[in-house]
Amino acid sequence: MERYELIVVGAGPAGLSAAIEAAKAGMKTVVFDENAKPGGQLFKQIHKFFGSKEHKAKIRGYNIGETLLREAETCGVEVVLNATVAGVYEGRELTVMQGDSIKHFKGDSIVVATGASENMVTFPGWTLPGVIGAGAAQTMMNLHGIKPGSRVLMLGTGNVGLVVSYQLLQAGCEVVALVDASKKIGGYGVHAAKVARTGVPFYLSHTIVAVHGEDCVKGVTIGEVDAAWQVIPGSEKTFDVDTVCLAVGLSPMAQLVKSAGCEMNGIVPAVDAYGATSVPGIYAAGDVSGIEEASSAMIEGRIAGAAAAYQAGYLEKSDFESIVTAHEASLGSLREGMFGPKQRGRVQTVTEEGIVLSQSLLTKGYLDESDLAHFPSIQHGKTGVYPVIECTQNIPCNPCQDACVKGCILIGNDITSLPVINAEATCTGCGMCVASCSGQAIFLVEEKPLESTAYVSFPYEFLPLPEKGDRGIALDRSGAPICDAEITAVRTGKAMDQTHVVTMKVPLDYASTARFFRRR
Amino acid sequence: MNGRIDRSIDLGPYVAAPDDGMIICRCEEVTKGEIRRAVHDGMFTITEIRRYLRTGMGLCQGQTCARLVKQIVAKELDVSPDVLEDAVARAPFRPVPMRVLANEAEGRTR
Ligand code: SF4
Ligand code: SF4
Repeated sequence: MERYELIVVGAGPAGLSAAIEAAKAGMKTVVFDENAKPGGQLFKQIHKFFGSKEHKAKIRGYNIGETLLREAETCGVEVVLNATVAGVYEGRELTVMQGDSIKHFKGDSIVVATGASENMVTFPGWTLPGVIGAGAAQTMMNLHGIKPGSRVLMLGTGNVGLVVSYQLLQAGCEVVALVDASKKIGGYGVHAAKVARTGVPFYLSHTIVAVHGEDCVKGVTIGEVDAAWQVIPGSEKTFDVDTVCLAVGLSPMAQLVKSAGCEMNGIVPAVDAYGATSVPGIYAAGDVSGIEEASSAMIEGRIAGAAAAYQAGYLEKSDFESIVTAHEASLGSLREGMFGPKQRGRVQTVTEEGIVLSQSLLTKGYLDESDLAHFPSIQHGKTGVYPVIECTQNIPCNPCQDACVKGCILIGNDITSLPVINAEATCTGCGMCVASCSGQAIFLVEEKPLESTAYVSFPYEFLPLPEKGDRGIALDRSGAPICDAEITAVRTGKAMDQTHVVTMKVPLDYASTARFFRRR
Repeated sequence: MNGRIDRSIDLGPYVAAPDDGMIICRCEEVTKGEIRRAVHDGMFTITEIRRYLRTGMGLCQGQTCARLVKQIVAKELDVSPDVLEDAVARAPFRPVPMRVLANEAEGRTR
């Protein structure tokens, strides 16, 4: 039996953060993870994170993972991989399977950061090869470099469904449709919009009727559901696909905390503000204690790690309190806004600013022309180059504000506020806001009435990159082709971190509608 | 929580449904019909269903089907799934080959 002052189960964002905080305070800390690679879901997250600077906003998930691993190493955290925690016993003893043997460990404290697993839904054909979880698709693409399929239908429009759909497009798959039984898109509007503008249709109030195929997926039929969730006869539509991705929610992996005897609150352990469960010395952090974003999981981990260190006498009360106060404020700001836990299940019709929310964005995935006038950050008809910020929901995010050195974009201290354009400042057209926006929601427009043309710059994260001089078709927010376009500039830079800023020339009339480009 | 389930309720006769043949627990190949029938046989809790049919006892240890089984049982009993207590979580949380367990018993490892 080996003893550690702190044993962390799970080397994901929450677990690593807890281990770092505890080891920094001086605890002898080990992290066990059943996987061959550390980082949990972080290394699958190739998109830029939301939040503010302290939450590592606009940094891609895998880079955040790298930083965490380095920090863990520096602090002296021992990370043991291919180590499966198989049981928990009296006195915080863990059995861990490593290779061909079971080893016993005792932790003075234990942080459980086991994360969550994907939910499944059933329909005829759901067990056919080709029906996969969205997380599995991400693992294949982003960890192993394997395309999950050629033609994919995604069920679920929460952030996971939206983000993974975009990644499937980036991997070169065709996404034939995004389907959700709910009436409204569940994830961020900006995530939906970047998928919609490539031409992917959304089918809300629809569900999968059946997946077809003998020994693998050959097609899928969806149908519209009525108020009682029954498929309306005659509403069925069939798509020719080889892959069906399910993004229908996550469930905490709580076996360990349950088995340890921790009091449960439904499917999650009951924890106090520091992540302490009802069993002394056992903490829970991250998705296992309630499904949230990785950004929140990292903060919960920090707090739990600090709490364990304080309990063990490694932190003075005042130091512990100041660590917790800072992290709690940071966690609080992430939980604000339309998508925060307090708003779950509530019908919202206006933003915090009192602006009517775009119903088109919530049902079709893109802003309708008629919505544009409501949002002051969506401008048109100005002289010179100007930003158009199509960010219309209260999400915790502010990199756009930090990106503009000219001070053109203002969000203020409340990071869920909508960005507003500072009328006093002058835009130079540098493109940094376009590349920094985690939601790919910022465009630059320059209207040239004398030439009857307009230049529209937009974020671009697909390969191959268009080149200057390329001719093609401009697409509107729904992905519909609207006019001819010619690429006039492609900007790439280290600070842009692989969000390229592409500029196209379109006829003047299309300045406020052309938002994406497709080669002929 | 299980206390809230009335053991004497009359579920009425078992009526076959078109999707009864659909597999719910993939690891142990248990169908929806088998689960529904088990409820009619008097298995009102997840633990009973588990022992009766082996749902959630396979490779994934119920990671995929636990929620699905619960929904089916709840629907059959006409209660909310929240009323049903999950199966007891027990070691091993992940499949452990017998060989590995035997290694420990023989003292081949520390
Ligand atoms: S293009 Fe540059 S100057 Fe203009 S708003 Fe964006 S960051 Fe500011
Ligand atoms: S516009 Fe600003 S607040 Fe909105 S998604 Fe982009 S960076 Fe975030």
